[in-house]
This record gives sequence, structure tokens and C-alpha cells, in this order.
Amino acid sequence: MFLRIEKGSAVPISKQIEQQIATRCAAGTLKPGERLPSVREMARQLSVNQNTVLRVYERLVRDLILEMRQGQGTFVAADAQFRATSGHRERLIEELRQLSRQALGLGLTNEEIHQLLDAALEQLRSLNNSSSISTSKQTKEVTS
Amino acid sequence: MNESYRDKPAIVLEGVTKAFRRNQVLAGETFTVERGKTFAFLGRNGAGKTTTIRMLLGLLMPDSGKMRVLDCDPATDPIEVRRHVGYLAEDQQMYGWMTVDEILRFVAPFYSTWDHDLALKYVREFDLPLNQKIKTLSKGQNVRLGLVLALAHRPELVILDDPALGLDPVMRRQFNRDLISHLQGEGRTVFYSSHLLYEVEPVADEVAILHEGRILRQADTETLRRDVKQFVLPTDLIPRVRDEFALLDSQTHREETVVTVENAAAVAALLQREGLEHRVVELNLDEIFEAYVAGDPKARRATTTEEQEAVES
Repeated sequence: MFLRIEKGSAVPISKQIEQQIATRCAAGTLKPGERLPSVREMARQLSVNQNTVLRVYERLVRDLILEMRQGQGTFVAADAQFRATSGHRERLIEELRQLSRQALGLGLTNEEIHQLLDAALEQLRSLNNSSSISTSKQTKEVTS
Repeated sequence: MNESYRDKPAIVLEGVTKAFRRNQVLAGETFTVERGKTFAFLGRNGAGKTTTIRMLLGLLMPDSGKMRVLDCDPATDPIEVRRHVGYLAEDQQMYGWMTVDEILRFVAPFYSTWDHDLALKYVREFDLPLNQKIKTLSKGQNVRLGLVLALAHRPELVILDDPALGLDPVMRRQFNRDLISHLQGEGRTVFYSSHLLYEVEPVADEVAILHEGRILRQADTETLRRDVKQFVLPTDLIPRVRDEFALLDSQTHREETVVTVENAAAVAALLQREGLEHRVVELNLDEIFEAYVAGDPKARRATTTEEQEAVES
């Protein structure tokens, strides 16, 4: 599993790892029943303190996104996708709120903000249409 | 050294002072390192990091205060301390004319617990060339050789004085990985000094910030981030709330004032309760460090005296 740690970020490292695992569960690239690397392996891969990784796993278990099975390891929980998506939604709302505040601060009207969002969505749609084949291929490579 | 020391912290310092002539380097330094933790010791150049480390090893005597290293007093029992501690000095110089193999054989007899097979295993894992002369090794290889020498007698505590100094980003990452797989993985206590906070954060369990010979704060990095935040407020509101701030730094830009506090939760609750207009800024570890060691000392001292008065009254 490829996770990216940004050093010197205002987001704590454990939060970064937690969000990236949750995002993969929400997107379905990590599937229910899939086994995660052991705490020790993950720590080594990311060059991150083992206790940090352990804390992340424990939090995700508490949020019912992961489950620990005695003696077998840590797995993606059955309804991880649903749980991770709802957590994601809250974060998204917060980010949209901040974005809206910025936009209002720049003197944009509500109407203009809606237009900008529409334009961004339109751009994504055309991008997805032209590259949907290569994206699905990449996803396969990542999960395999 | 008896068995009961295993329940005790790996390192304890209480009110340690040290002056070189009229230069007061340590002014009542106090901190504790629990066993099995990776502890990062942070401070600017000249803050007293190396002086502290040399005292932990019994290479320097404190003027006053109490020190315990693995429940021994390094001032009276330095040999016993060094037997159980692995040490990598800042910018460690080794005999350049020796080969890697020669220096291993040279150092081995100094330790009764030296494990030569383990030393050779580290040499292989660290990709060190056994028959190459030390002076031809790269900076990164030098640090790794220093680590082999510090680890091969299976110390319980490893003290590293700014091991990342002079390493490029790739080597620093590699060093962090070594630290995680070979030290944390084996449950050793690691005490290391650094001034590169963003490198320390992924690896350390706890950090302590040393400034002008005192520990300003000891905490795990997540607690530190939770406690230390910036608030941007309209300047005219400041007098109403100022007393509640555990202030580290304060900067006024006309109508806006930016305060850095170390009681973020309490301040956020207060501003919320009073319905006061504000913005919260999350800080990264470098910014937090800077707030402690380079923040407005007037602001800090003001709150400290106020706190003291509050305690006394």
C-alpha cells in the first residue's frame, strides 16, 4: 500500500496516515476483508514510529473502519466503505466551509461561487471522460 | 546495577545546572525519559544539548542537581553507565586510517558484552564495506558505522548527538528507517538530539524543547500540536481575554493581533463562549518550536509572572 507522508505539514502524521487509509476504504481500493501490513511492517515502510502506526490502527478500529483479529492481524472491516465515506463527508463540508469563507473574503457573490464550483465539476467531468480507461488501469496496478 | 532499575525511567534529570566560568549553560534542567521510548531532544545551537549529553555519559560533572541514567549516577559511576549505553557523538571522528573491520576489532575489547556477530550483521544490513578505510567512507556511511559501534554491545539506552547533522535528505530518511527497524523494533530507549523538527516528528514518541538551559516543554508531538495554536483576533478584543492566554508569542498588525498560546483548547472554548470573532491557525512542529524559542519573550515572561502570582495568591 502506498501512503504519502508530508513532513512539516500542519496536519499531524498520524492524522495523515489515518485519512489516507480511510480515503482508500471510502474509494473501495481497500476492500472489506483485506489484510493491512502489520504495525511493524507499516512503520518500517513509512519510516514512522511504531506507536504512531498502532495509534492510527486503534483509532480506525474504534471508528469501525478496520478490525483487529486476534493473532491474525488487522483487516478492513465489513462496512468500512460506508463508515469511511460518512467521516469523509464531514471533512468535506468543513473544507467547503473554509473555501466559501475565502471566496466571500475575496468579495465574490454567492452566485459567482456556485459558478466556480460548476466550472470545476465540468472540468473534472471532461478529464474523467478522456482518461477513464487509464485511471481504471492504474487503480488495478495499485491494488495488486 | 540490580534488577529493580528496570521499573525506573531510563533517564532522570532534576534541576541540573552547569556553568563554564561565567557562562550559565544549564539553568535547572529537568526532564524524564521513560524506558523503551524514542525521545527527541530539541534546541537551537548553543542551547546546551551537547553539554547535557556529555553529562549523561559522565564526561562532564553538573554543578548541582540530580541525574540518574539507568538508575546509576553518571557523575560517580561513569563506567557502569557507559557499559549499558550506546553513544554516537556529534560529528564523530574515527581513525581514518583504519578499515571498518579494524575499528570493529579495536573497539570490541572495551565492552564485555560486545557481540561481534551482531556487529557484522549490522555491517551487512547497513551495506558497509568491511575492508575499506574509514577516511574514504561517505558521511552517511560514517554515521552508520558510528551506529554499529554504538549498538554492538547491545546497550539498553542509545544516546545519539545530532546524528542527522550533515546528512542529505535521502540519507536522513534512511537513518530514520534504521532507527525504527533496529532500535525501536528491538525495544531500546533512544535519546537523540536534533534541530530538524520535521525529521523528528515521524520518529519520536516524545520531544523536549531546551532553551537557555531549561526545558520549556516536554510532550508527545500530538499533544504539542493540540495545545499550541495561533489565534487571530481583532486587536481591541485582546484586553478582554488576555488574562486567559498561556501566551508564547503575540504580534499586533494594526487592527489584527496574532497570538500563539499553549492552552489552545481553553482559549478556543473561551472565544466560543464569549462569541468573539476569531480565526484559528494550526501550526506545524517547526512553527511550534519557533514560538517557544524565538517567540516574544516579553509576552511569555508576562504570563509566567501572572501565573506565579495566581499560584501565590
